[in-house]
Amino acid sequence: MNYRLNAVKAISRRKIFETFITPGFYIALSVSLLLGYFLINGFINSIDSSGLNYGLNPVYELIAKSLSGAFGGTFVIKLFSEGPFLFALYIAYIPFLLYLTISSVFKFGFEKKVGAIELLVYGPSDGTSYFLASLVKDIVLTFVFLGAILIFFWITAIVNNLVLGPEFFYSCIVILFLSLAFFSYGIISSVVTDSAASGIALFLGISVFFIILQMGSFAIISGYVTNLSNVLAWVVKWVSPLFYWHLALSSIGYGNGGVFVVNLFLLLLLSVVILVISHLVLKARGVRV
Amino acid sequence: MIQTEGLTKKYGDFTAVDSVDLSIPAGEIYGFLGPNGAGKTSTIMMLLGITSPTAGRIQLFGEEYTSGRLDLRRRIGVVPEKHPVGMWSWMTAGEYLSFFADIFGLKNPGKRIEDLLTQVQLIGVANKRISEFSRGMLQKLSIVRALLHDPDILFLDEPISGLDPIGIKQVRDLIIAENREGRTIFISSHLLSEMEKICHRVAIIFNGKLLAEDSMDILLLKLARDREIDIDLEEVPAGLAEEIEKLDFVNSVSVTENTIAVKVPKEGDYRKDISRFLIKKELIPLQFKEKSISLEEAFVTITHDNVKLLAGVGGKA
Repeated sequence: MNYRLNAVKAISRRKIFETFITPGFYIALSVSLLLGYFLINGFINSIDSSGLNYGLNPVYELIAKSLSGAFGGTFVIKLFSEGPFLFALYIAYIPFLLYLTISSVFKFGFEKKVGAIELLVYGPSDGTSYFLASLVKDIVLTFVFLGAILIFFWITAIVNNLVLGPEFFYSCIVILFLSLAFFSYGIISSVVTDSAASGIALFLGISVFFIILQMGSFAIISGYVTNLSNVLAWVVKWVSPLFYWHLALSSIGYGNGGVFVVNLFLLLLLSVVILVISHLVLKARGVRV
Repeated sequence: MIQTEGLTKKYGDFTAVDSVDLSIPAGEIYGFLGPNGAGKTSTIMMLLGITSPTAGRIQLFGEEYTSGRLDLRRRIGVVPEKHPVGMWSWMTAGEYLSFFADIFGLKNPGKRIEDLLTQVQLIGVANKRISEFSRGMLQKLSIVRALLHDPDILFLDEPISGLDPIGIKQVRDLIIAENREGRTIFISSHLLSEMEKICHRVAIIFNGKLLAEDSMDILLLKLARDREIDIDLEEVPAGLAEEIEKLDFVNSVSVTENTIAVKVPKEGDYRKDISRFLIKKELIPLQFKEKSISLEEAFVTITHDNVKLLAGVGGKA
């Protein structure tokens, strides 16, 4: 265990260092912050004497209509109840999450193909150490992202006389756990595939499926789509991180701290289960392509 | 130090390694030979814990070895055939070695890295990026990496393949020096002339089965079909070769200038008989030389015939 821990420390340190000296991280962070800035700016321009008026900004009008269609009007009202920050946080988070996960899946596939992971395995390490190091790197960088976005939004809030409400901070915690689950899905996608491209395709496929499923569940409530309410969809939602994310988010709105913690725990549990499966699959398949 | 019993690896219906029993004592330079597809790599992958055996067991340092035994694996150093160009291609040699020292949890590895780089004459390029390294430099760097944690066993897969003569000598000297320090060396290579120079014992695997595992001398004797005796004469009279060929114990004769090469069965010593025959013909042998078969010559034509020879059922060819 100590050998694996030591290897995870050494590899993750290296990976974090590599990330900081390559432009990809800064590009993803800049895109996220820019998206956040435009959304906050659009929100400010949509406010008139009667409060928030989506019709004043065509982008916001489109966003509000789309979100209402997909998740229902209540969800949109809740999302903007504390100002633009909650919505901006989630939208800014998407490109960064995609960057982190896709780059990790790509590297895993590439390093596996060229034999670099095999070389690590020759030492007192194994494939699991490698993917755990990737996970540690991604978690650390998510902290960095949240730190950067917190500072940026905090300054924006002060400048525009807005407030970062408690839901925003709760959402930051949810994002950490949600990221962990998505990173775990990225890892299992790398483990079960033989190339970087197929790993990325699988991860994106899984993510899109979860999004469709989540949106479908709202559509069922709204009565728009009924054919998604089948047994499969009901079963699959339990392995979807977005299911727990939504429950956690809703519990914040209801002020139910217990349900919030339970859903964070379930996200953690889901991640652990996926990681354990990844470990077993990697053990059986080996790190050789 | 390394012991396998009935080691078997199957991929579906195909048996890549079939009940292989190896026994490698400490301090030996052990050569593992076999043509492509013989089961060499599959065996090595199991010994390194990269893949699990379908059947059989592996013992390392007297303990049961499975892929989860990281404590045993850290006592092994591995030099793969090709140095992977992954995450570290942009690192300098020094950074690369420090990274692996870090993985192994070595305390203050600077001195060890410096000593090893000096030994393989790479100290001058310690600050050069690995991506700029030649094949030979990468190979030497790979050996240094494998030696960093002072392993008890060093596995080398084609360690001198693609190296220039100077590189080959440096790597060969390094292997021998490491062995003299008590390190067990396991080499898989197709460069048999080199294996012959450095290995104490060799094993030959073919079609997944271990055909032989013996000291170099005994193995060469097993592989040789004939014994060749070269006899120098003042001159070789016409028709002599044909007359010698008629002798009962002679397999074949060839003549090159003043030398007659006589091939006789490997089991007996026929020098006295040949001398007697030549003296009877009033010819004085100036010199008798027994030419031994090289491992390369013997192995290069691993055919069903010498498979039988190794299996001990082959007779006079």
